[in-house]
Formats: sequence, structure tokens, C-alpha cells
Amino acid sequence: MPLLEVENLKTYFKSRRGDVRAVDGVTFAVERGLTLGIVGESGCGKSVTALSVMGLLTPNARIVDGAIRFDGRDLTRLSERELEDVRGRQIAMIFQDPMTSLNPTLTIGTQLTETMKRHLDMSTDAARKRAIELLEEVHIPNARQRLDDYPHRYSGGMRQRVMIAIALSCNPKLLIADEPTTALDVTVQAGILDLLEELREQHEMSMIIITHDMGVVAEAADDIAVMYAGQIVEQATAEDLFDRPEHPYTEALLGALPQLEGENVREGRLTAIRGRPPDLVDLPDACRFAPRCPYANPNDACARHNPELREIRPAHLVRSAHPASERAGALAGADA
Amino acid sequence: MAVNPEEMEVRQDVVRRETAETSSYEAGAAIRQSSLWRDAWQRFSHNKAAVISMVAFVLLVIYVVITPWVVPYDPNNVDFSSAYLTPTWSHPFGTDEFGRDLFLRTALGGRISIGIGFAATFAIMVIGIAYGAISGFAGGWLDNAMMRFLDALYGLPYLPFAIITLAIFGTVNFWTMVVSLTIASWLTTARVMRGQIITLKENDYVRSARAIGARWYRILFRHLLPNTLGVVIVFVFLELPNVVLGEAFLSFLGLGINPPKASWGSLAQDGYQQYLSHPHIIVIPSVAIAWLILSAFFIADGLRDALDPRTREAA
Amino acid sequence: MSSNGALLTVTDLQKWFPVRKGLLVERTVDHVKAVDGVSFEIAEGETLGLVGESGSGKSTTGYCILQLLKPTGGSVRFMGHELTTTSRNDLRELRKEMQIVFQDPYSSLNPRMTVGKIVEEPMLVHGQGTRRDRERRVRDLLETVGFNPDFTNRYPHEFSGGQRQRIGIARALALNPRLIVCDEPVSALDVSIQAQILNLLKDLQRDLGLAYLFVAHDLAVVRGMSDRIAVMNHGKIVEIGRAEEVYTNPQEDYTKALLAAVPVPDPRRMRERKRERRRLAHAVAEGF
Repeated sequence: MPLLEVENLKTYFKSRRGDVRAVDGVTFAVERGLTLGIVGESGCGKSVTALSVMGLLTPNARIVDGAIRFDGRDLTRLSERELEDVRGRQIAMIFQDPMTSLNPTLTIGTQLTETMKRHLDMSTDAARKRAIELLEEVHIPNARQRLDDYPHRYSGGMRQRVMIAIALSCNPKLLIADEPTTALDVTVQAGILDLLEELREQHEMSMIIITHDMGVVAEAADDIAVMYAGQIVEQATAEDLFDRPEHPYTEALLGALPQLEGENVREGRLTAIRGRPPDLVDLPDACRFAPRCPYANPNDACARHNPELREIRPAHLVRSAHPASERAGALAGADA
Repeated sequence: MAVNPEEMEVRQDVVRRETAETSSYEAGAAIRQSSLWRDAWQRFSHNKAAVISMVAFVLLVIYVVITPWVVPYDPNNVDFSSAYLTPTWSHPFGTDEFGRDLFLRTALGGRISIGIGFAATFAIMVIGIAYGAISGFAGGWLDNAMMRFLDALYGLPYLPFAIITLAIFGTVNFWTMVVSLTIASWLTTARVMRGQIITLKENDYVRSARAIGARWYRILFRHLLPNTLGVVIVFVFLELPNVVLGEAFLSFLGLGINPPKASWGSLAQDGYQQYLSHPHIIVIPSVAIAWLILSAFFIADGLRDALDPRTREAA
Repeated sequence: MSSNGALLTVTDLQKWFPVRKGLLVERTVDHVKAVDGVSFEIAEGETLGLVGESGSGKSTTGYCILQLLKPTGGSVRFMGHELTTTSRNDLRELRKEMQIVFQDPYSSLNPRMTVGKIVEEPMLVHGQGTRRDRERRVRDLLETVGFNPDFTNRYPHEFSGGQRQRIGIARALALNPRLIVCDEPVSALDVSIQAQILNLLKDLQRDLGLAYLFVAHDLAVVRGMSDRIAVMNHGKIVEIGRAEEVYTNPQEDYTKALLAAVPVPDPRRMRERKRERRRLAHAVAEGF
């Protein structure tokens, strides 16, 4: 049984103009010991999905439909109190901006031990000992001395490591990392991703990594879900997704990426995706990517109905009427 | 499910129109259409306390302005036969020891109190903004010097300062009161404005103006000051009650405007001796002062929420 | 270094920020050497990519060149003029030839000015043309950057990040500059919009013969835009050369470490890149 099963999750925000359908029917599973990457641009609903799982939505948002089954329990049916026990203890989350995620008026030690005392009922001494161990695990040098430092004495990368230590302190089964490296320099980012990988193996954790960066998700994820306008539009293993992307949006996204390697990069142009994502309040019944899709046609079915997420190959799902392997000109031959 | 062919037409059009609109210019259409003020007004109007306070404030101003034109009494007419009347229909607020109608006197007093309030607030804004903007914009040693001077002034207690100024003037009339209150109160505004200017200076659009070669006055008046408008408006509604309270306090102490002109403070002072036997004489002007102060503070609060740039972007 | 016709020649540029301490009287106890001896040239129509991590001094370098910050030392020769010693009036004239596009689309446009006024301002400041001339040029500029010229009466907050960047680019073009400093112009944008803006910048360069100093931390972005590249670390240039060369055949360990750290969208290469990173870890020791 997968560790986390999200089924048809719908999270809507209240706004003056109507409901903002930030997450509109999202289904995925996270297997034990594996990393799922959720990738998409701003506004696609990836962060809201994570916040829904954690139960950290703002008051103007609500889960309208769907189930979130963690280790068999449906989290949407739990009371706030029960959810608080799960949150932090079994599912932990780290956020994007290490500069604002830590309380500047409390020492690192206090913030570490606070979580442990709450969830594990540890004494202060035991918690401090464990805190030092954790800081060493995330490779913070001189952990014992640095325990009583305030956050401003740590750099961005170091703070993110502390966040990870806090997240690990209660031995969660699932770690959700929401844009964990976006605010960091590229070399620091690499270090954090390496660390997450290392810790995941050691602690036998599962992980969900949320990012807009295709490179990050290629590195860090085993399975990848691509989101657009509140829905998953493609889902596959990391290798299959990059080898043979199916959805026009995925293809366009990969084509829009500036390349580090390759020839004629200076002279060439990037494949830009014209237009903008749709307004999440006023969604048409058609495919949400249609206005920007180079293959969409007003006569197609996708102009009238939003395509379903279907399996085009084993373990490869796509929500499109024009996936790559079905386009005219796709070579005959068995899809492995 | 059968699809209505007419519906199909409409939907195709939607797809086609969307594509055309977004491809005519790569940048596409504007994502929202609104003015900042309209957004702010909408936010403000959803804040019940702020709206109620706005109504209360306006009602008070109307009362103060209209009553003297409408009510037939002579504010200075002494008529001992009508002295100390409690509120009745012909005298909604009762009368004082001289038989003068308090409904009318309170309104007249309001004209003076609120008048002093607005005049002093205006003067405070002008001086505070000028001082703070110059200090913040100049930076360096001038900013340092100006701020140290300000700090020194902060050391002087507010009311004694105003009292001394009044004493220097000799008489207490509308304008001397305005000046005295202004001199004592512009400090905070100056400091806040300086902070605003310093923060705004860091914006890239200011750097851009410099990169273009704009001269200092253009940067100050076109780029910096207009962006302080939100803060200034909120501050007006914060300073006004302070000034009115200050004037009321001075008047209550007997340092107010000379009779027969009266402000709310001096009206309260009139009734102070008789508060046990005839409480309405002191209660009414006190309520008026409180009414003004509370409504102004809630309006300021509502304005601050409505004009907060963070919520402005999110909406 | 001889300025043999290069549009911009920077020699030993320094920008030190004093660290002051003290109770009543502040004294300078130390300096933060944001830019510490940087030299390079940019020819007409060429793009020099200036790449580095945060704190490397790359943005500060850009500001110093434009004299938005006064350099502490060194020389900046632009179109034959030594900018560090030019008179204020002459500098004002020269500003027409060098402009800047900023990173943050939200703070780079005055929220209280309409789009039209924002793009018009450079011409207004230099007294160019009549009002009608300027209006026409504003419309032309907006069209050139792919922005609908009917929107000149709208305010910046009505537009998205990518649209605002276009407005900023139109403003930078208003005075027909020869050199534009692009300070992380796409870092705050989504990938699909990034591509639009990068293509736009390339087209403009080709059509108008612009030279760019392209400052960025994203190595992949810089690669596609630059003819030559300079890698900065802690205020100094670590490596400089033709883009092809530096990317395919980096000489310095820091450059190699930087290149190895970039995540590439290819899951198979991951293991090999991680090995490379471990090997070069010494060059990018993560400090406090």
C-alpha cells in the first residue's frame, strides 16, 4: 500500500469573484521510500496541494472534495487536534524561504527542541542531545556550540539545513519540501539536494519535492507529476518523462528551458509558450492548456471537454488529446 | 450527451478569441483592470468598524456644521430662568448655568475643536513631511543632524511645551492654539515620513530614475512623495484626534480659548464643578470628544488595512 | 589596458563598503569588498555575461559601471569618456547611452505612474521632442517589446511580472542606448515567460545593435545570451573568456564546481554530476 494516496483532491479559495479552483481534481500516490516530484509554474496549484495534505490551508481555503489517505487514515476526516499529531510527527514540511521560516528571536536550539518536546515528550536534556545529533546529521560544523546561536548568524544554506533538521527531529515517514532550494545559490542548492537524498535513504523516508525547476526535479525525483492550472497533466517516472514527454505543455516547458550544454545555444531561440495560464475562477470546460497549445484545434474534442488523465504507456499518464506519441507522424512501432 | 450545436459555436469562438487576443501582442492582455483607489475603497468598505466609524465621523461633522445655522437660540443669551435644564425636546442637550442651549454650544464648540484639529493637523503634515522628506532624502550628515535635533525636541514634554508656547504668545485664540499644538506634535510625523522616504529610496524605480538622469527634485516630487500618500492619509486620521484631545486638555485646564468662545474642552471645564448635580454639562462635550477620537482611530485603522501594499498585490 | 574601440572598458574596478562601529562617534573598522579589482571589456553589439552567486559582487559591478554607486577605485571608460571623473552634466548626457533593466518587476516601476508616463520619462527628462513626438515614440517602443500600446493609461499593478519586464525594457530603450546592463532580468519570472523575454532581448540586440552586460546567477540562461563570460566570486573575476570555451573547457575549479552544481533536466546524468560535485566541494566551501 502506498504511504500517501491523494484521490481527486479539490481545494478552492474564496474570493470576491467566486471560487478560485487552485487544486481541481488531483490524484497521485507516494510509495514508501521514493520521491515524488511535483513540478509546475507559479499558480499551478502545487504548493496548495502540499498545504492541503498538511492541513495548513488559510481560512479562506477549503478542501471541497477528495481524500488524502496517509498510512490508511483519511486526513480530511481528522479533527484539528488529531491532525496536529500527524503534522510534524509523521509528515514534516520544509518551506522555501529559510530567511523567514525560522523565528529570529529564538535560538536554533529552542526551535529544534520545541518540536521534539511537543511530539516525543522528551525532557529538555534529552532533546538537546538529540538536537546536536540532528545538526551533525545535516552537516552543520561545531554543532554543540552553534546550538545556542540565533538564526541571523547562519547563512541561507545553513538555515535550510536547520529546517531539515527540525523536520527530521520526529522521524517522519514523509517529508514534503516546498521549493526547498529556490532561494539558494546553485552550489548551496546542490548541497541541499544531496543532503535530502542522503537523509531519505538513511531514514527510509518518502519525499514529495515541489518545484518549478525541471532540473531539480530531474535530479531529485523518482516519479514526477507535472501540474497546470490546478490539475496534473502528465505523470511518469523521471526517466520516462524526460526521455519521452507526452503532453504539449511538458514539451513546451522543456523547450523553453535555457540549456547549459549543447551547440548553437547563442544563436538559437528558446521555444516560448505564448499567452498565460487561465484564470482559476473562470475555467472553461475545455482543456485548460488549449489556448496555448500548438496542436489544439477548435474542432477537437478538447475544445469542449477537459481530457481525462489516461494511461498512454505503463506507468505514464497524460491529460491531453494530443500527446506526442499519438500525433500524426509518430513512427509506427510498439511503445515499450 | 448531445451537444447543442449553438453552444458549440460559442465555445469555439471562445477558444478562437482567446488565441487571437493573446497572440496579437506577445505580452497579452492586462491581468486585472482596476485602480488602486477602487481596490482600497472596496477593502475599506468591507471593514464594518471602519465604515461605521466613517459614518459616525461624517455625522459629527454635519452636526457641527449645520446646527448653528438651524437652531434658533443665541449662544450667548443669558437667561437664568432656563439655567441647568436637563435634556428636553426644546433643549436636546439641556442648558448650562447661564441658560444657554447646550445643543447649540456643543456644536459651536465642535466647530472650534474640529477646526483647530484640522488646521493643526494640516500644519503638522506640512512641517512633518517637509522635515522628514528632506532628512530622509538627503541622508548623510544632514540627515544625522536633523534627526539628532529631532531627538532633542522629543525630550520636551508635549503639553508643557504647548503651554509654554501659549504663554509666549500671551493670548489664546484659534491661531495661537493651532501653532502651539503644531509645534509640539510634528515630531512623529517627521520621523515616520523620513522612514518612508528611506525605504522608498531603495526601490528600483528610484534607481531607474537616477539612471535616466533625472534630477533630485524630480525624484523627490514625482517618485518618492506620491508613494507616501497612503501613509499620509492614515496619519491625518491619527494626528487629528491627538490634536483635538490636546486642545481639549488645555482648555479643561483653563488655558483654552477665551470666553464667550468655547471649545469642547472649555465646555467640559464649565461643567466640571457641577458634575455631581448637573452631569450633562460635562458629559456631553466629553462624549463628543470621545466620539471624534474613536471614529478617527477606527477610520485610520481601516485605511491602513485598505492601503497596505502587501494586500494590494495579493487581491 | 588599451581602449582600442571597445565600447566599455573596466579596469581594476573597486567598490568597498565601510563597516562602521562606535557609540557616539562612528569609526570605520573594516570594509566589505563587494567588488575587488574587476577588469573586462565589452565591444559594440556584444554581450558579456557576468555570472556568480549571491554576494559575488556582480550586481554591484553593474551599478558601479552606470555610476549609480560611486566606485571606490578603478576606471570605467565608456565611449572614450572616463566616467569616474566626468562632470555631472557630461555624465547626464552620457546616461542616454547606457541604461539598465532591473530584476524585480514589482519594484522597478513606480506604482503611481501610468505605463505611458513610465516609458516617456527618459525622453521627458532630457527634453526630447514634443509631447506628440514622445507619445508616438512610446507607442512604438511598446510595440517593439510586444506590449499592447493601447494600455498606456493603465497602471503597472494591472500587469503580470513578464508584462512589467517588457515595460521596463521599453523604458530602457527610450533613449537609444548603446549599452544595457541587464541585472537578472528574468530571475523573477516563470520559465515560459523567461523564454519570451530572453528571445525578446536577443531580437532587440540583433535589430538595434545593442551591447549587453548580462548579469545573472543562472548559468544556463547566461550561456544562451552571451558571447563572452566572466565568472565572479567574492568580488573578483575568477575566469573570463569566450562563452563556448568557458562552458566546455573551464579552467578554474570554482567555475567547474559552479557548472557541476547546475541541475540539468536529465535524470541519467545525475550520478556522474554528483561525483563531480563531491570532487570540487573544496572550491565552494559553504561558509557561515
